[in-house]
Amino acid sequence: MHVPDGPLPLWVYLVFLVVSLSILGISIRRISRKFDDRMVPYLGVLAAVIFAAQLVNFPLPPTSGHLVGSTLLAVMVGPFAAVVIMAQVLLVQAFYGDGGFLAYGVNLFNMGVFASFFGWFVALVLFKVFKRAIDEKAAVLIATTIASFMSTVASAFVLGLELLTVPGFGLEALIVIVVVHAFIGVGEAVLTFFILLYFIRAKPQLISFLSGSKTAEMAKVAEAPWASPQEAIPVTVVGGST
Amino acid sequence: MERNESVKFVLPIVVVLIAIVSIVILGGLASGNPDGFEWSLFDYAEVAEPEGGFEGIWSFLGEGPVVDVITGVVGIVGVLLLGYLLFRLTSRRD
Repeated sequence: MHVPDGPLPLWVYLVFLVVSLSILGISIRRISRKFDDRMVPYLGVLAAVIFAAQLVNFPLPPTSGHLVGSTLLAVMVGPFAAVVIMAQVLLVQAFYGDGGFLAYGVNLFNMGVFASFFGWFVALVLFKVFKRAIDEKAAVLIATTIASFMSTVASAFVLGLELLTVPGFGLEALIVIVVVHAFIGVGEAVLTFFILLYFIRAKPQLISFLSGSKTAEMAKVAEAPWASPQEAIPVTVVGGST
Repeated sequence: MERNESVKFVLPIVVVLIAIVSIVILGGLASGNPDGFEWSLFDYAEVAEPEGGFEGIWSFLGEGPVVDVITGVVGIVGVLLLGYLLFRLTSRRD
């Protein structure tokens, strides 16, 4: 999903560069001083995990795919920290020639900003629903796996919308890129499942959705109850609310 | 979470990551097919692929699985250190 320099019009690259760098700045401010320094090695290693997972593509003839990891990160450390980690990964990848420097804003938006916030929101809603029926570790695992699939497909749709600015890329190609990423999304979901399963077993304190998490403060998006994984979804019933 | 505990947790993960990436690349298990974006844009929609752009800081080393492993390991360590530096600067000192 790494867009190189060249195919998109210059104004698209510039607009996304401004938008993405602004959101990156906001994200750094939002997480600043919200975690203690004992968390630093864990956050660093999460960036390394995502970079390593994106180094190798799994086959999906005639194409291939790789983990994006934004939903996984967003569930673990919150969407703002996920954007910061993805920004670091994409910057190093740009130096490696994987995604251009001019295209950095487009790639950060698609794989960092949009994928993190969309994946986080879907996972949060699913987690709150599943938590009513199963224990919270199983709920976060299933919710994140489904959300990672949906986030991959939705991000491909957003990328397809951006590509409509390229002469020769039409609605049919938009449908194709979404369908292709539906298959890649299955790979994303499988990898997300196993990586998150490892962290649930080895270090559940790193998962912001779980009770007693050490990342809950940096993962907070808003003060409202809907944004908290531990608050139940308010259900309005006739004659009152519960 | 104590500092020593975090280092003990992180180091084995980095070693395992490097081992998995090395095995996958050297074993030829990684796909060389274009990714979903490239295939949809350049193969399916037949948009001309840009040529002569920046090919990465390691392009002078040439191509091959051994080069991919070496540059991959450098990248993993580089991202780890970059992440450590940035998050260290933004962390709260208790």
